[in-house]
Amino acid sequence: MADRAPHIEYYHWAGGREVLLRFGPERGMLGTVLIVPALFEEANRLRGFTIALMRALAARGVASALPDLPGQGDSVWKTEHCAIDKWRAALGTAAATLGKPHLFAIRGGTLLDGECQVAGRYHFAPVPGGDLVRDLVRIRQLSAEENDEPFNPEAIRPPGPPVELAGNLLSRWLIDDLKAAMPRTADRVARPETDARAAQMRLTGTALWRRARPEEDHELIRAVASDITRWVEQCDG
Amino acid sequence: MIPEGMGQIEATVRAVLGDVLGIDAKRVATFGATTPLFGALPELDSMAVAGVLTELEDRLGIVIEDDEVDGDMLETFGALTEFAAGKALV
Repeated sequence: MADRAPHIEYYHWAGGREVLLRFGPERGMLGTVLIVPALFEEANRLRGFTIALMRALAARGVASALPDLPGQGDSVWKTEHCAIDKWRAALGTAAATLGKPHLFAIRGGTLLDGECQVAGRYHFAPVPGGDLVRDLVRIRQLSAEENDEPFNPEAIRPPGPPVELAGNLLSRWLIDDLKAAMPRTADRVARPETDARAAQMRLTGTALWRRARPEEDHELIRAVASDITRWVEQCDG
Repeated sequence: MIPEGMGQIEATVRAVLGDVLGIDAKRVATFGATTPLFGALPELDSMAVAGVLTELEDRLGIVIEDDEVDGDMLETFGALTEFAAGKALV
């Protein structure tokens, strides 16, 4: 099993080319895990966790791939052009590029894996889209109050120009679609122990996506990496 | 109100402030009812306030309406704990 340095590949979907960051062995005994990142600010806060997780998987002989979603990460797409169906189509293509990967989706990423042909689905701290929108609107509302600006949460419904929510310029249709989006059923669901919602597996750790300055939680990274490795072995067995 | 529940709420509020704002556990342990929060903690900007409220909702299984969020409930550790208890201990 030849170990390779992390490297950048690309996947091509109908809307263009996006980055696929790859870690781990080229031909892993256990196939590849497609990692679907969280959305918006949560993706930034979980970036360190996600990369550390991919390193930990590589150390266990599991290859993984992290796509940029159109309009997220380093994508050249404008955030205001993001739409759920585009994200789903792009992810479906990323999955196809990898054959039939195992899928590990984080937070808002669990809303987007519907068109992926995969060997199995693992959801980490899945969240209804409505909760994500509520969080974004709340941040916007609090900052409006802080700066004495008017903001009416009812006034962001379509139609109309994109609206700025928590530092993201977003289409009103995306916000509407997100509100209605729910994670589909997964083969395995894990959450940090502080999250009261339903899960098969609770891991020692806290909600890193809410931390203003996330630190690396090595215990959580080890626990998730080991659980994914076991799960992938079982799927293949 | 259930007295033993109140202690649990206080511990949860303390843990949430520590986890979301990245405040050292020893420092959070010194917070008392009159410890000022909003305006006094540089870590507590509008994005962090949203994080604290949402995390409290997740851990206590409560829903905080947007029109309930004001400066008063965030003024001190005691005020935030009272608010959370009012929601969670019905």
